[in-house]
Amino acid sequence: MKLTRRQVAPALIGLTLKADQPLKGGFALEAQDRGHQIRDRAATPATKRTIRIPAVIVGGGISGLSAAWWFRRARFTDFVLLEMESETGGNARAGENEITPFPWAAHYLPLPANDSIYVRLLCEEFGLLKDGVWDERWLCHSPQERLFLHGRWQEGIEPHIGLTKEDAAQFDRFFSRVAELRHSGAFTLPMDPGLRRSKPAHLALDRLTLSGWMRKEGLYSPYLRWLVDYSTRDDYATGADAVSAWAGLHYFAARDSEEHGPLTWPEGNAWIARRLTQTVSSHIRTGAMVSRVERTGSFWRVHAGDTLYETDYVIWAAPTWLARWTVSPPPRALPMESAPWLVANLTMSRWPAEKGLPPAWDNVIYGSPALGYVVATHQSLKTHIPRTVWTYYWAMSQGAALDQRRILLGGDWRYWCERIFADLQRAHPDIRSCVERIDIFRIGHAMPRPAPGFLTHPDRLALLKPSNNLAFANTDLSGLSLFEEAQYRGVEAARAALSTLGR
Amino acid sequence: MAFVLFLSVFLIAASGLIYELIAGALASYLLGDSVLQFSTIIGAYLFAMGIGSYLSRFIERALIARFISIELMVGLLGGFSSTILFLAFTWTTSFRLLLYGLVLAIGILVGLEIPLLMRILRERFQLKDLVANVLTFDYLGALGASLLFPLLLVPHLGLVRSAMLFGLINALVALWSTFLFRDQLPRAMAQRIGSIAVIALLTAGMFFGQQITDTADAALYSDDVVLTRTTPYQRIALTRWKDDYRLYLNGHLQFSSRDEYRYHESLVHPAMASRPGARRALVLGGGDGLAVRELLKYPGLESITLVDLDPEMTRLFKTHPLLRGLNKDALSSPKLRIVNADAFPWLQASRDLYDVAFVDFPDPNNYSLGKLYSSAFYRLLSRSLTEGGLAVVQSTSPMFARQSYWCIVETLKAAGLKTYPYHAYVPSFGEWGFVLATRTDWSPGGQLPEGLRFITTAQMHALFEFPPDLAPVPAEVNRLNDQVLVRYYDREWREIVR
Repeated sequence: MKLTRRQVAPALIGLTLKADQPLKGGFALEAQDRGHQIRDRAATPATKRTIRIPAVIVGGGISGLSAAWWFRRARFTDFVLLEMESETGGNARAGENEITPFPWAAHYLPLPANDSIYVRLLCEEFGLLKDGVWDERWLCHSPQERLFLHGRWQEGIEPHIGLTKEDAAQFDRFFSRVAELRHSGAFTLPMDPGLRRSKPAHLALDRLTLSGWMRKEGLYSPYLRWLVDYSTRDDYATGADAVSAWAGLHYFAARDSEEHGPLTWPEGNAWIARRLTQTVSSHIRTGAMVSRVERTGSFWRVHAGDTLYETDYVIWAAPTWLARWTVSPPPRALPMESAPWLVANLTMSRWPAEKGLPPAWDNVIYGSPALGYVVATHQSLKTHIPRTVWTYYWAMSQGAALDQRRILLGGDWRYWCERIFADLQRAHPDIRSCVERIDIFRIGHAMPRPAPGFLTHPDRLALLKPSNNLAFANTDLSGLSLFEEAQYRGVEAARAALSTLGR
Repeated sequence: MAFVLFLSVFLIAASGLIYELIAGALASYLLGDSVLQFSTIIGAYLFAMGIGSYLSRFIERALIARFISIELMVGLLGGFSSTILFLAFTWTTSFRLLLYGLVLAIGILVGLEIPLLMRILRERFQLKDLVANVLTFDYLGALGASLLFPLLLVPHLGLVRSAMLFGLINALVALWSTFLFRDQLPRAMAQRIGSIAVIALLTAGMFFGQQITDTADAALYSDDVVLTRTTPYQRIALTRWKDDYRLYLNGHLQFSSRDEYRYHESLVHPAMASRPGARRALVLGGGDGLAVRELLKYPGLESITLVDLDPEMTRLFKTHPLLRGLNKDALSSPKLRIVNADAFPWLQASRDLYDVAFVDFPDPNNYSLGKLYSSAFYRLLSRSLTEGGLAVVQSTSPMFARQSYWCIVETLKAAGLKTYPYHAYVPSFGEWGFVLATRTDWSPGGQLPEGLRFITTAQMHALFEFPPDLAPVPAEVNRLNDQVLVRYYDREWREIVR
């Protein structure tokens, strides 16, 4: 074989991929083209049949499925759920290979507090909660979390290696402020009941960024700032510099500090989504892309492919910003950017060499631009697991969401593989020789970014109320892309529909 | 002549650097933190070279003879440096002391070389040419060595033989110098014989070097290694000392043939004697077949299911003459069904019921094994027992890991089982613990088979008595989502193991 200069030069300075076997994989679940057909008002197929049905749910993610689940619980069966993709689940979809199932996005459910009534109901129905006891099988197994900090792994994500006394004191101060907020009862999941109890001082938190709040509180420890920034990137795809302090603090204040959770499954929240899907499967129409929703007289005409649904009530559970392109008359715009994410599933032919702590469920690298990785085989009952899948998460939280989306879609598969390796290599120098396959899911519009002002924005508040027999039900109305919110919005929309329809 | 002389500068510079790199690499392999190791080794070595250069002023006569002696000493010390360090790592506790001692010694000798050589060559060249040439070849040698070391030597020769190869080069330079400077050497023949002796020693080392470090490997086990197998699941090693055979899995002792009967009789007989009607038995772990050997003493048993992860383990103990002798061919019994599977998922999928179950897993020293001691696992175990069925769990030492032992008891209770803890003394393990668990009430007793060496009816009750130093201590339940047992175990054994 003759080597060309193009091959030799990079090899000499060590720039080529060092993998033992050629790396396989590609982009998965690509939907940009289909999604943009709506935006671009592409021609839609001629209507072949018209179906008259009392209720239509648009979107089969967690909120749409939860609306359908509630309809079934209420013994209401005159509805369909329209899903654009070939499979329901939305951000709670999963893949599977010969090693294990693995999540494509959402992958855990924190143990619900007592006021998360719908979540507890769901957990009891699916056997996760029996007589007040959580099923150990699906609680996250030990060891749960580790953080790569100063060249080694430590237990837990809260940094504790190399902290000065002042750092430690700042952590204490931060968490005692959080405890005060928690006891106020203003921060709940779902967020609505807490909002009703909120005092002006709590609502004022929505007028500044989390970083701004920390400066005001005199919290400047770099470790604390990292933890807070990591948390808001993880839950809201927004850094502490841009996120509403109300949302950022909600992350910490809405959950009990003594939880022994979360619930998690190899396939992530698809475990729930698939069970929800089963309970309502006869109502689901997949591959049904809704191109237009028009108000005509006293009912709605919903165009999905070659089928026209004439319905009394529409539950819009797809992303709310999408309704601007589809629904007529168009609703107000949701005053929030939607952030892009990258989720990669790394098929590992072996585990990297480990020093110190064993792999945990959630593994985070301090100072990384991404969020770390979750081990899909972590909940396996086996003692011997030679191969595994890592789900690697990257919330693209810097700058404007639009720019980040350009970067996400502009980079080719190899580029992203290199970025992922470069990040993981800090904690795992031998990572390249362990990975045989990388499948990347580029989610252009993964979740809303709750910037300051989102909470009390009049447009958001207006969208919360059903009008003209159309209820918005997507999580993005909450600004917090969480399972609890998605389910709550779905169930509340279903309840509004049932009361309007007189069922 | 000039070129030949400068070639020796090149060679001794290269070998000097190689010894430094070897010490640095070995230190970072064995001690970790490569930045620290390389920095301190390089610092110490350069400092020692400075000492050597300083000391060169005190050598006033017979420069060539001294140079040759120094070459031979460097060859010997450097050539055997990695061997010495490997052996020191295995056999002594003062690795660091020896490491820096050796680095200083070699550094001093190497530091003497160049000043001496320059003085030897002083009459043949002008000072400016001499300094320029010697230093040029010195640095070139360093470049050669630093490229050769990571690219060729480490991957192909290993550290032991690389050191010897360069020791040989030092010795050859010495031998060669005896010819080069023969008119200036009064006792050339003696020097020549010395050089040849060193060369012979290093050549022998090149051939037997591998065995020297293998000896070090074997020393990790204190006895002769009879058999080793590396399977996808574990490393199996069998050792022998006189008539004592010991089985190690991943370096952890599993049994000693001198006293394993105490362990396996204790595991099996208290439960079996009390259930004369038992027909179906389950053994989880225990691929050595020693528990099965004890079970086969009960003719009433109709079937035994043995679940062990590693097929190589059960194959060895079924076919190897020595091991078959230990378990009395238990693994060939027609009553036995061997399943090679991971126990937790296997038990979860199994719908069979057993009258007795024996759980003989390795100690819970990591989170993977800890799952097999969790309340979720024990609930499955309980589900697989018949009404009145008994389970016995090997539960580590109530003496050395007291809280771990009582944690296992608590965990069995949390799974809804009644527990009957007991213990026995096994000399090679120490005081060892078991827990008998069942859904009904139970008390020891019943008919024991003939020919037992440890358990007797009279003494069986005593096993269930716990002296104050083994008595219960508070412990949490070990759950999949909160594996306290692995933390207890790690802490308790760390307090004991030196």
